Amino acid sequence: MKLSELKVNQSARILKVDILDSNLKIHILEMGMTKGTTIKILNIAPLGDPISIAIRGYELAIRKEDANHILVEVIS
Amino acid sequence: MKIALVGNQNSGKSTLFNQLTGMNQKIGNWPGVTLEQKTGIIIGTQHEIIDLPGIYSLSSYSLEEKISKDFLLKNKIDLIINVVDVTSIERGLYLTTQLMDLDIKVIVALNMVDRLKQHGMTLNTQKLRNMLETDICMISALKGNGIKELINLISNSHIHKFNKIKIFPRNVEEIIFNLENRLNQTKNKRFYAVEMLINNKTNLKFITNKIENLYKMDITEVIITFRYEFINKICKECITKTNTKTNITLILDKLFLNKYLAIPIFVVIMFLMYFLSIGIVGNLTNEFSKNIFDNINSYTINLLINLGVSDWIVSLICDGIIIGVGSILSFLPQIIMLFTCISILETTGYMSRITFVLDKIFIKLGLSGKVLIPLIIGTGCSVPAIMSTKIMEKEYDRKVSSIITPFIPCSAKLPIIALFTSYFYHDNYAVIATSFYFIAILIIIIISLIIKKISNQKITSTYITELPEYRFPNLKLTFKNVYDRVKEFIKKAGTVIFLSSIITWFLLSFSTKFEYCTNIEKSILAFIGQKLSWFFYPIVGVNSWQVAVSAIQGLIAKEQVVSSLEIISGLSNDAKNISEIFSNGSPFAFFDKASSYAFITFNLFSLPCFAALATLKKELNNTKIFMIMIIFQTLIAWAFSSSIFNILKFFTR
Repeated sequence: MKLSELKVNQSARILKVDILDSNLKIHILEMGMTKGTTIKILNIAPLGDPISIAIRGYELAIRKEDANHILVEVIS
Repeated sequence: MKIALVGNQNSGKSTLFNQLTGMNQKIGNWPGVTLEQKTGIIIGTQHEIIDLPGIYSLSSYSLEEKISKDFLLKNKIDLIINVVDVTSIERGLYLTTQLMDLDIKVIVALNMVDRLKQHGMTLNTQKLRNMLETDICMISALKGNGIKELINLISNSHIHKFNKIKIFPRNVEEIIFNLENRLNQTKNKRFYAVEMLINNKTNLKFITNKIENLYKMDITEVIITFRYEFINKICKECITKTNTKTNITLILDKLFLNKYLAIPIFVVIMFLMYFLSIGIVGNLTNEFSKNIFDNINSYTINLLINLGVSDWIVSLICDGIIIGVGSILSFLPQIIMLFTCISILETTGYMSRITFVLDKIFIKLGLSGKVLIPLIIGTGCSVPAIMSTKIMEKEYDRKVSSIITPFIPCSAKLPIIALFTSYFYHDNYAVIATSFYFIAILIIIIISLIIKKISNQKITSTYITELPEYRFPNLKLTFKNVYDRVKEFIKKAGTVIFLSSIITWFLLSFSTKFEYCTNIEKSILAFIGQKLSWFFYPIVGVNSWQVAVSAIQGLIAKEQVVSSLEIISGLSNDAKNISEIFSNGSPFAFFDKASSYAFITFNLFSLPCFAALATLKKELNNTKIFMIMIIFQTLIAWAFSSSIFNILKFFTR
């Protein structure tokens, strides 16, 4: 499943960051989205994009376009 | 000792810097870029400390990361103070472990320890110290706790030895060791080696292949994942989570990020901000401060005449300096209010929510929602606003936002708005004054779309950002922010405006033959203005040299427009009272609703002041784009304001 498809309050585990732009990929990984990390969707912006997730004890906002390339498995 | 202060954004780094250095600070620029660089001397010591930009890693994704990395690698730094926000310690330690790859000793300052309890966390510092193998200090920069201990640690840091900790699995460490031996560099070898692996260059495939196959990840992922694995291990050992209390941020976000309420709330907050500054505070203090300066003026006149001082000196001091500088200082209450509001938006964490709520609109403009930050700061002053464009990662976003920022009415343009609207739109003063901000937004959208069209490149803006926890506005911090900006404003009134007022008075009081004359129609400035007044005819409907010279003086500083209007009207008749500037007999008596609105519009959207232009030129780093922009901006302002004048004229007929 893609990160962008999760609903608010759903939790998931990150499987892979599948982004071609290598700088962007490094940045997303360094913000904590490494394989196996648990995340939870906190907010979806009023206009439907971007989304914000709880990760490693802080809140990270990311656009759906980038979240489309992050694969996750749903926990709950 | 030379010390670098490094930490994440929102880690309280600047607060700690203020605590460590007190008032002993110097603000300069990072070489080659318009980014503020603060240096200071730590209280009670000789140690120089440099405040680096807030960063998450040393991988040069953003310009700030690149600046920080280059600074740490190329300068002789004796010590790094790494500020880590203990409430988001996992992400903070990522940077810490990266810093430890450098050949520089690192002291970790764990900040916001007073919030641990609130987050239901307890921390075993002894264990953390042992695992990181370096000195750790628990502080609360905001409350000033632990600062003395930190300074002690800094002063004794030369005694302690420091070890490079090996955080990766043995097979990865072997690769790093191999690479280190191939490097030409003599210093920071481990850092360079790890950086090469993260960047995953193909010429290293023969070394990394085995590992990549083993872990089924590319080497970039291997390095970052195992760094976080090490941090996970630390957190598991050192942090115990008890039950968490309800998080205020979650509750506030339900409101501020609500699907239906978020945007109305944003509009209301922005409206309140300007309504409060220009409207309420303005109305309360305008009369009061005008009276003060009128009194000072008449008192000085009497005093000087009694002393038998010659006419022209009385005129210079009263008609030139006091009116010129005083007309600006009388707007101080509004400006203090505006900067207070901006500072509160920044420090509470609401500013990043604004970017989150409205980011989608900016996707359509090819920009990131973060563009809003310079735009909002720009309502205070364009110079720090253009500097703040550094928070954006993409060069395109930075350039476009520096171009559009000067279109936002800054606090120096506020006196122009206030002067005209309070007189001509007395009943709808605040609403009309706020309407200029909406015109600004409209112009900005149009310009962004034009730039997007002509730049013609495939734009891939991104928006990946931390949404910090909401914080209660801190009185001390807000005061410091406002104090710094207001100091700049007063300094400007005392230097630039002071000098310009004298020059304006001189050019108005001397004829083209350099003789002192009291008829300003024969003055040098009148001569110059008459040559240029045609340009302003379509905007105000009158051929007025007074209007032309006032608007042109706005280039020096936008406040100067008001100063100049006041000086000219003062010298033209006996009206020494500011409220009489538009009354009969004044050269500005012709102004009406339409022409005043159009004249404000022109001043708001034509070229910004010289200080902003200089910052912009440095930021764009391209003379051609800069020149095009200058001409373009003047034309837009002219076309816009003359259409407004003619449309309003048509409807008010």
